[in-house]
Amino acid sequence: MEHNSGRRRLCKAGLAGIGTIFGLSALGGGAVFLGSPALTNKSEGQWIEVGALDDFEEDTYNQVVLEFSIQDGWAYATQKMLAYVRRRGEKLYALSAVCTHLGCNVRWEEERGEFVCPCHAGVYDKEGKNIAGPPPHPLPKLPVKVEDGTVLVYNKQEEGGESHG
Amino acid sequence: MAKERRGLIKALDDRFHFMDSFEKDVLDHPVPPRLNFMYCFGGITFFLFCLLCVTGLLMAAYYVPSPEAAYASVEYLQFEVTLGSIIRGLHHWSANLMILFICLHMIRIVITGSYKNPMEFHWISGVFLFLLTLGFGFTGYLLPWNMRAYWASKVGIGMATTIPKAGEFIGNVVRGGEPLGALTLSRFFATHVIYLPILTLAFLGLHFWMIRKTGVAEPL
Repeated sequence: MEHNSGRRRLCKAGLAGIGTIFGLSALGGGAVFLGSPALTNKSEGQWIEVGALDDFEEDTYNQVVLEFSIQDGWAYATQKMLAYVRRRGEKLYALSAVCTHLGCNVRWEEERGEFVCPCHAGVYDKEGKNIAGPPPHPLPKLPVKVEDGTVLVYNKQEEGGESHG
Repeated sequence: MAKERRGLIKALDDRFHFMDSFEKDVLDHPVPPRLNFMYCFGGITFFLFCLLCVTGLLMAAYYVPSPEAAYASVEYLQFEVTLGSIIRGLHHWSANLMILFICLHMIRIVITGSYKNPMEFHWISGVFLFLLTLGFGFTGYLLPWNMRAYWASKVGIGMATTIPKAGEFIGNVVRGGEPLGALTLSRFFATHVIYLPILTLAFLGLHFWMIRKTGVAEPL
Protein backbone atom coordinates (compact mmCIF):
# COMPACT_ATOMS: atom_id res chain seq x y z
CA MET A 1 0.00 0.00 0.00
CA GLU A 2 2.97 2.29 0.66
CA HIS A 3 3.76 2.89 -3.03
CA ASN A 4 0.09 3.60 -3.72
CA SER A 5 -0.59 6.43 -1.35
CA GLY A 6 0.49 9.25 -3.66
CA ARG A 7 -1.79 8.04 -6.39
CA ARG A 8 -4.62 7.64 -3.92
CA ARG A 9 -4.20 11.20 -2.74
CA LEU A 10 -4.20 12.47 -6.32
CA CYS A 11 -7.36 10.54 -7.15
CA LYS A 12 -9.10 11.85 -4.05
CA ALA A 13 -8.04 15.45 -4.74
CA GLY A 14 -9.10 15.11 -8.39
CA LEU A 15 -12.49 13.71 -7.45
CA ALA A 16 -13.00 16.41 -4.84
CA GLY A 17 -12.07 19.10 -7.38
CA ILE A 18 -14.34 17.77 -10.13
CA GLY A 19 -17.11 17.24 -7.61
CA THR A 20 -16.80 20.80 -6.39
CA ILE A 21 -16.92 22.23 -9.93
CA PHE A 22 -19.93 20.09 -10.87
CA GLY A 23 -21.66 20.81 -7.60
CA LEU A 24 -21.18 24.55 -7.86
CA SER A 25 -22.35 24.66 -11.50
CA ALA A 26 -25.46 22.68 -10.59
CA LEU A 27 -26.12 24.99 -7.67
CA GLY A 28 -25.57 28.07 -9.86
CA GLY A 29 -27.80 26.70 -12.61
CA GLY A 30 -30.56 25.95 -10.15
CA ALA A 31 -30.28 29.41 -8.63
CA VAL A 32 -30.51 31.05 -12.07
CA PHE A 33 -33.49 28.87 -12.99
CA LEU A 34 -35.38 29.70 -9.81
CA GLY A 35 -34.28 33.33 -9.71
CA SER A 36 -34.88 34.43 -13.29
CA PRO A 37 -38.49 35.65 -12.81
CA ALA A 38 -37.14 38.14 -10.27
CA LEU A 39 -35.64 39.97 -13.22
CA THR A 40 -38.09 39.15 -16.03
CA ASN A 41 -41.55 38.95 -14.47
CA LYS A 42 -42.23 42.68 -14.44
CA SER A 43 -44.62 44.83 -16.41
CA GLU A 44 -44.06 48.23 -17.95
CA GLY A 45 -45.83 51.26 -16.53
CA GLN A 46 -49.11 52.15 -18.27
CA TRP A 47 -51.34 55.21 -18.49
CA ILE A 48 -54.73 54.34 -17.03
CA GLU A 49 -57.94 56.29 -17.67
CA VAL A 50 -59.63 57.25 -14.41
CA GLY A 51 -62.53 59.45 -15.52
CA ALA A 52 -63.54 62.79 -17.04
CA LEU A 53 -61.77 65.92 -15.82
CA ASP A 54 -65.12 67.62 -15.13
CA ASP A 55 -65.95 64.97 -12.51
CA PHE A 56 -62.96 65.88 -10.37
CA GLU A 57 -63.75 68.27 -7.56
CA GLU A 58 -61.47 71.17 -6.92
CA ASP A 59 -59.12 71.20 -3.96
CA THR A 60 -59.88 67.83 -2.51
CA TYR A 61 -58.52 64.37 -3.01
CA ASN A 62 -60.61 62.26 -5.35
CA GLN A 63 -60.16 58.55 -4.81
CA VAL A 64 -59.60 56.65 -8.07
CA VAL A 65 -59.01 52.98 -8.83
CA LEU A 66 -56.46 52.20 -11.53
CA GLU A 67 -57.45 48.94 -13.19
CA PHE A 68 -55.05 47.34 -15.62
CA SER A 69 -53.98 43.99 -17.04
CA ILE A 70 -50.55 42.57 -16.57
CA GLN A 71 -48.84 39.42 -17.71
CA ASP A 72 -47.85 37.47 -14.63
CA GLY A 73 -45.59 34.60 -15.70
CA TRP A 74 -47.81 32.27 -17.74
CA ALA A 75 -51.03 33.98 -16.65
CA TYR A 76 -52.81 37.23 -17.46
CA ALA A 77 -54.14 39.05 -14.46
CA THR A 78 -56.13 42.18 -13.72
CA GLN A 79 -54.68 44.36 -11.03
CA LYS A 80 -56.19 47.21 -9.12
CA MET A 81 -54.34 50.07 -7.53
CA LEU A 82 -55.74 52.84 -5.38
CA ALA A 83 -54.66 56.44 -5.96
CA TYR A 84 -55.74 59.98 -5.03
CA VAL A 85 -56.07 62.76 -7.59
CA ARG A 86 -56.26 66.41 -6.61
CA ARG A 87 -57.27 69.17 -8.98
CA ARG A 88 -56.25 72.81 -8.74
CA GLY A 89 -57.76 74.52 -11.76
CA GLU A 90 -56.23 72.85 -14.79
CA LYS A 91 -53.37 71.41 -12.75
CA LEU A 92 -53.60 67.83 -11.46
CA TYR A 93 -51.63 65.97 -8.79
CA ALA A 94 -51.79 62.26 -8.13
CA LEU A 95 -50.57 60.29 -5.14
CA SER A 96 -50.37 56.55 -4.86
CA ALA A 97 -52.41 55.29 -1.91
CA VAL A 98 -49.89 52.55 -1.19
CA CYS A 99 -48.40 53.15 2.24
CA THR A 100 -44.60 53.27 2.13
CA HIS A 101 -44.40 51.27 5.34
CA LEU A 102 -45.75 47.83 4.35
CA GLY A 103 -48.03 48.47 1.40
CA CYS A 104 -51.54 48.84 2.83
CA ASN A 105 -53.89 51.38 1.21
CA VAL A 106 -54.07 54.69 3.02
CA ARG A 107 -57.36 56.59 3.46
CA TRP A 108 -57.87 60.33 2.90
CA GLU A 109 -59.58 61.93 5.89
CA GLU A 110 -61.03 65.23 4.76
CA GLU A 111 -61.79 66.73 8.19
CA ARG A 112 -58.27 65.97 9.49
CA GLY A 113 -56.68 66.88 6.18
CA GLU A 114 -54.45 63.85 6.45
CA PHE A 115 -53.89 60.44 4.92
CA VAL A 116 -54.16 57.67 7.51
CA CYS A 117 -53.01 54.12 7.12
CA PRO A 118 -55.38 51.64 8.81
CA CYS A 119 -52.70 48.97 9.34
CA HIS A 120 -50.17 50.64 11.64
CA ALA A 121 -51.53 54.15 12.05
CA GLY A 122 -49.10 55.85 9.70
CA VAL A 123 -50.05 59.46 8.97
CA TYR A 124 -49.24 61.61 5.92
CA ASP A 125 -50.06 65.28 5.55
CA LYS A 126 -52.01 66.98 2.75
CA GLU A 127 -48.98 66.85 0.45
CA GLY A 128 -48.39 63.16 1.11
CA LYS A 129 -45.47 63.74 3.44
CA ASN A 130 -45.01 61.17 6.19
CA ILE A 131 -45.54 62.98 9.50
CA ALA A 132 -46.32 60.32 12.08
CA GLY A 133 -46.13 56.59 12.65
CA PRO A 134 -43.86 54.09 10.92
CA PRO A 135 -43.86 55.20 7.22
CA PRO A 136 -40.25 55.89 6.14
CA HIS A 137 -41.05 57.89 2.97
CA PRO A 138 -43.72 60.22 1.58
CA LEU A 139 -46.52 58.74 -0.54
CA PRO A 140 -45.22 58.15 -4.10
CA LYS A 141 -46.21 60.82 -6.59
CA LEU A 142 -47.76 59.42 -9.76
CA PRO A 143 -47.60 61.13 -13.16
CA VAL A 144 -51.01 62.38 -14.26
CA LYS A 145 -52.21 64.03 -17.45
CA VAL A 146 -55.38 65.10 -19.27
CA GLU A 147 -56.18 64.05 -22.83
CA ASP A 148 -59.43 65.22 -24.48
CA GLY A 149 -61.00 65.91 -21.11
CA THR A 150 -60.09 62.48 -19.74
CA VAL A 151 -57.75 62.10 -16.81
CA LEU A 152 -55.00 59.48 -17.08
CA VAL A 153 -52.75 58.31 -14.26
CA TYR A 154 -49.51 56.40 -14.68
CA ASN A 155 -49.41 53.25 -12.57
CA LYS A 156 -45.73 53.50 -11.65
CA GLN A 157 -43.84 56.13 -9.78
CA GLU A 158 -42.01 58.58 -12.03
CA GLU A 159 -38.54 57.46 -13.00
CA GLY A 160 -36.33 59.44 -10.68
CA GLY A 161 -39.40 61.47 -9.79
CA GLU A 162 -38.91 64.15 -7.16
CA SER A 163 -40.20 63.23 -3.75
CA HIS A 164 -42.47 65.48 -1.81
CA GLY A 165 -40.56 67.43 0.70
CA MET B 1 -7.08 5.25 9.41
CA ALA B 2 -6.93 7.08 12.72
CA LYS B 3 -6.55 10.56 11.34
CA GLU B 4 -6.20 13.83 13.21
CA ARG B 5 -9.58 15.55 13.17
CA ARG B 6 -10.33 19.12 14.06
CA GLY B 7 -13.17 21.52 14.61
CA LEU B 8 -16.80 20.69 14.12
CA ILE B 9 -16.13 17.21 12.63
CA LYS B 10 -14.07 16.32 15.72
CA ALA B 11 -16.67 17.71 18.09
CA LEU B 12 -19.42 15.70 16.41
CA ASP B 13 -17.28 12.56 16.13
CA ASP B 14 -16.27 12.72 19.81
CA ARG B 15 -19.95 12.51 20.63
CA PHE B 16 -21.39 10.25 17.96
CA HIS B 17 -18.39 8.19 16.70
CA PHE B 18 -19.42 7.95 13.09
CA MET B 19 -16.28 9.00 11.17
CA ASP B 20 -14.42 5.68 11.35
CA SER B 21 -17.33 3.67 10.00
CA PHE B 22 -18.09 6.42 7.47
CA GLU B 23 -14.54 6.29 6.13
CA LYS B 24 -14.36 2.50 6.20
CA ASP B 25 -17.80 1.70 4.78
CA VAL B 26 -18.46 4.62 2.49
CA LEU B 27 -15.24 6.28 1.35
CA ASP B 28 -12.93 3.26 1.40
CA HIS B 29 -15.39 0.48 0.85
CA PRO B 30 -13.62 -2.45 -0.83
CA VAL B 31 -15.15 -3.88 -3.99
CA PRO B 32 -14.24 -7.24 -5.52
CA PRO B 33 -11.38 -7.22 -8.04
CA ARG B 34 -12.00 -7.52 -11.79
CA LEU B 35 -15.25 -5.54 -11.78
CA ASN B 36 -15.97 -4.02 -15.19
CA PHE B 37 -18.13 -1.20 -16.52
CA MET B 38 -21.23 -3.39 -16.49
CA TYR B 39 -21.19 -3.14 -12.71
CA CYS B 40 -21.83 0.59 -13.05
CA PHE B 41 -25.32 0.36 -14.55
CA GLY B 42 -27.03 0.37 -11.18
CA GLY B 43 -24.98 3.33 -10.02
CA ILE B 44 -25.70 5.20 -13.25
CA THR B 45 -29.41 4.52 -12.74
CA PHE B 46 -29.16 5.98 -9.24
CA PHE B 47 -27.26 9.00 -10.56
CA LEU B 48 -30.02 9.59 -13.14
CA PHE B 49 -32.60 9.25 -10.35
CA CYS B 50 -30.77 11.95 -8.37
CA LEU B 51 -30.70 14.18 -11.46
CA LEU B 52 -34.44 13.63 -11.91
CA CYS B 53 -35.05 14.55 -8.27
CA VAL B 54 -33.09 17.79 -8.54
CA THR B 55 -34.55 18.91 -11.88
CA GLY B 56 -38.01 17.86 -10.70
CA LEU B 57 -37.70 19.86 -7.50
CA LEU B 58 -36.68 22.88 -9.56
CA MET B 59 -39.56 22.53 -12.02
CA ALA B 60 -42.04 22.15 -9.15
CA ALA B 61 -41.55 25.88 -8.55
CA TYR B 62 -43.22 26.62 -11.91
CA TYR B 63 -45.55 23.78 -12.83
CA VAL B 64 -49.27 24.10 -12.07
CA PRO B 65 -51.36 20.91 -12.21
CA SER B 66 -54.66 22.22 -13.51
CA PRO B 67 -56.21 21.83 -16.98
CA GLU B 68 -56.29 25.60 -17.50
CA ALA B 69 -52.75 26.26 -16.40
CA ALA B 70 -50.68 23.13 -16.95
CA TYR B 71 -49.75 23.66 -20.60
CA ALA B 72 -49.24 27.41 -20.20
CA SER B 73 -47.01 26.91 -17.16
CA VAL B 74 -44.89 24.29 -18.96
CA GLU B 75 -44.62 26.60 -21.98
CA TYR B 76 -43.53 29.43 -19.72
CA LEU B 77 -40.96 27.28 -17.92
CA GLN B 78 -39.63 25.95 -21.22
CA PHE B 79 -39.37 29.18 -23.20
CA GLU B 80 -39.37 32.11 -20.78
CA VAL B 81 -37.47 30.96 -17.70
CA THR B 82 -33.69 31.18 -17.99
CA LEU B 83 -32.20 27.66 -18.34
CA GLY B 84 -35.77 26.33 -18.44
CA SER B 85 -35.26 24.28 -21.59
CA ILE B 86 -32.08 22.80 -20.13
CA ILE B 87 -33.65 21.83 -16.81
CA ARG B 88 -36.69 20.31 -18.51
CA GLY B 89 -34.50 18.69 -21.13
CA LEU B 90 -32.35 17.10 -18.41
CA HIS B 91 -35.50 15.76 -16.77
CA HIS B 92 -36.78 14.39 -20.09
CA TRP B 93 -33.54 12.70 -21.12
CA SER B 94 -32.67 11.40 -17.65
CA ALA B 95 -36.12 9.82 -17.50
CA ASN B 96 -35.60 8.05 -20.82
CA LEU B 97 -32.05 6.99 -19.99
CA MET B 98 -33.11 5.75 -16.55
CA ILE B 99 -35.41 3.15 -18.16
CA LEU B 100 -32.58 2.14 -20.49
CA PHE B 101 -30.04 1.74 -17.69
CA ILE B 102 -32.47 -0.20 -15.51
CA CYS B 103 -32.85 -2.65 -18.39
CA LEU B 104 -29.07 -2.90 -18.83
CA HIS B 105 -28.66 -3.33 -15.05
CA MET B 106 -31.21 -6.14 -15.00
CA ILE B 107 -29.67 -7.85 -18.03
CA ARG B 108 -26.27 -7.76 -16.32
CA ILE B 109 -27.77 -9.27 -13.16
CA VAL B 110 -29.33 -12.07 -15.19
CA ILE B 111 -26.14 -12.78 -17.15
CA THR B 112 -23.95 -12.95 -14.03
CA GLY B 113 -26.65 -14.79 -12.08
CA SER B 114 -26.49 -12.19 -9.35
CA TYR B 115 -30.14 -12.70 -8.43
CA LYS B 116 -29.33 -16.06 -6.81
CA ASN B 117 -28.89 -16.85 -3.12
CA PRO B 118 -28.09 -14.74 -1.09
CA MET B 119 -29.36 -11.95 -3.32
CA GLU B 120 -32.94 -12.93 -4.16
CA PHE B 121 -34.36 -10.04 -2.16
CA HIS B 122 -32.11 -7.59 -3.97
CA TRP B 123 -33.75 -8.75 -7.18
CA ILE B 124 -37.26 -8.53 -5.75
CA SER B 125 -36.74 -4.99 -4.41
CA GLY B 126 -35.19 -4.14 -7.78
CA VAL B 127 -38.27 -5.33 -9.64
CA PHE B 128 -40.38 -3.09 -7.42
CA LEU B 129 -38.05 -0.20 -8.21
CA PHE B 130 -38.42 -0.94 -11.93
CA LEU B 131 -42.22 -0.89 -11.65
CA LEU B 132 -42.09 2.35 -9.64
CA THR B 133 -39.94 3.88 -12.39
CA LEU B 134 -42.49 2.87 -15.01
CA GLY B 135 -45.11 4.51 -12.77
CA PHE B 136 -43.03 7.70 -12.78
CA GLY B 137 -42.88 7.55 -16.55
CA PHE B 138 -46.62 7.00 -16.98
CA THR B 139 -47.72 9.72 -14.55
CA GLY B 140 -45.09 12.22 -15.67
CA TYR B 141 -46.08 11.87 -19.30
CA LEU B 142 -49.52 13.38 -18.68
CA LEU B 143 -48.31 16.47 -16.86
CA PRO B 144 -47.54 18.79 -19.86
CA TRP B 145 -51.22 18.38 -20.74
CA ASN B 146 -50.72 18.50 -24.49
CA MET B 147 -52.31 16.24 -27.12
CA ARG B 148 -49.63 13.59 -26.87
CA ALA B 149 -49.89 13.52 -23.07
CA TYR B 150 -53.66 13.35 -23.10
CA TRP B 151 -53.97 10.61 -25.70
CA ALA B 152 -51.10 8.55 -24.29
CA SER B 153 -52.85 8.52 -20.92
CA LYS B 154 -56.19 7.79 -22.59
CA VAL B 155 -54.66 4.73 -24.26
CA GLY B 156 -52.69 3.68 -21.17
CA ILE B 157 -55.71 3.84 -18.89
CA GLY B 158 -57.73 2.20 -21.68
CA MET B 159 -55.47 -0.85 -21.41
CA ALA B 160 -56.22 -1.12 -17.69
CA THR B 161 -59.97 -1.01 -18.41
CA THR B 162 -59.71 -4.14 -20.57
CA ILE B 163 -59.15 -6.23 -17.41
CA PRO B 164 -62.25 -8.42 -17.12
CA LYS B 165 -64.84 -7.41 -14.52
CA ALA B 166 -62.70 -4.95 -12.52
CA GLY B 167 -61.33 -3.00 -15.51
CA GLU B 168 -63.93 -0.24 -15.62
CA PHE B 169 -63.61 0.35 -11.88
CA ILE B 170 -59.80 0.45 -12.02
CA GLY B 171 -60.00 2.97 -14.85
CA ASN B 172 -62.31 5.16 -12.79
CA VAL B 173 -59.96 5.00 -9.81
CA VAL B 174 -56.95 5.97 -11.95
CA ARG B 175 -58.83 8.80 -13.70
CA GLY B 176 -60.69 9.92 -10.60
CA GLY B 177 -64.08 9.31 -12.23
CA GLU B 178 -65.22 8.99 -15.78
CA PRO B 179 -63.61 11.92 -17.57
CA LEU B 180 -59.88 12.18 -18.11
CA GLY B 181 -59.60 15.71 -16.79
CA ALA B 182 -58.89 17.93 -13.83
CA LEU B 183 -58.98 15.18 -11.22
CA THR B 184 -56.80 12.90 -13.33
CA LEU B 185 -54.19 15.59 -13.77
CA SER B 186 -53.93 16.44 -10.10
CA ARG B 187 -53.80 12.82 -8.95
CA PHE B 188 -51.16 12.01 -11.56
CA PHE B 189 -49.20 15.02 -10.34
CA ALA B 190 -49.46 13.98 -6.69
CA THR B 191 -48.45 10.44 -7.61
CA HIS B 192 -45.52 11.67 -9.68
CA VAL B 193 -44.06 14.09 -7.16
CA ILE B 194 -45.12 12.72 -3.76
CA TYR B 195 -46.37 9.13 -3.52
CA LEU B 196 -43.93 7.48 -5.93
CA PRO B 197 -40.83 9.34 -4.66
CA ILE B 198 -41.56 8.27 -1.07
CA LEU B 199 -42.00 4.62 -2.10
CA THR B 200 -38.95 4.76 -4.33
CA LEU B 201 -36.73 6.18 -1.58
CA ALA B 202 -37.88 3.41 0.76
CA PHE B 203 -37.11 0.67 -1.77
CA LEU B 204 -33.81 2.32 -2.74
CA GLY B 205 -32.76 2.38 0.89
CA LEU B 206 -33.56 -1.30 1.18
CA HIS B 207 -31.80 -2.09 -2.10
CA PHE B 208 -28.60 -0.30 -1.04
CA TRP B 209 -28.65 -1.58 2.52
CA MET B 210 -28.90 -5.16 1.30
CA ILE B 211 -26.07 -4.79 -1.22
CA ARG B 212 -23.86 -3.44 1.59
CA LYS B 213 -24.75 -6.40 3.80
CA THR B 214 -23.99 -9.12 1.25
CA GLY B 215 -21.42 -7.29 -0.86
CA VAL B 216 -21.37 -7.11 -4.65
CA ALA B 217 -21.46 -10.49 -6.38
CA GLU B 218 -18.03 -11.55 -7.61
CA PRO B 219 -17.59 -11.42 -11.37
CA LEU B 220 -17.66 -14.72 -13.24
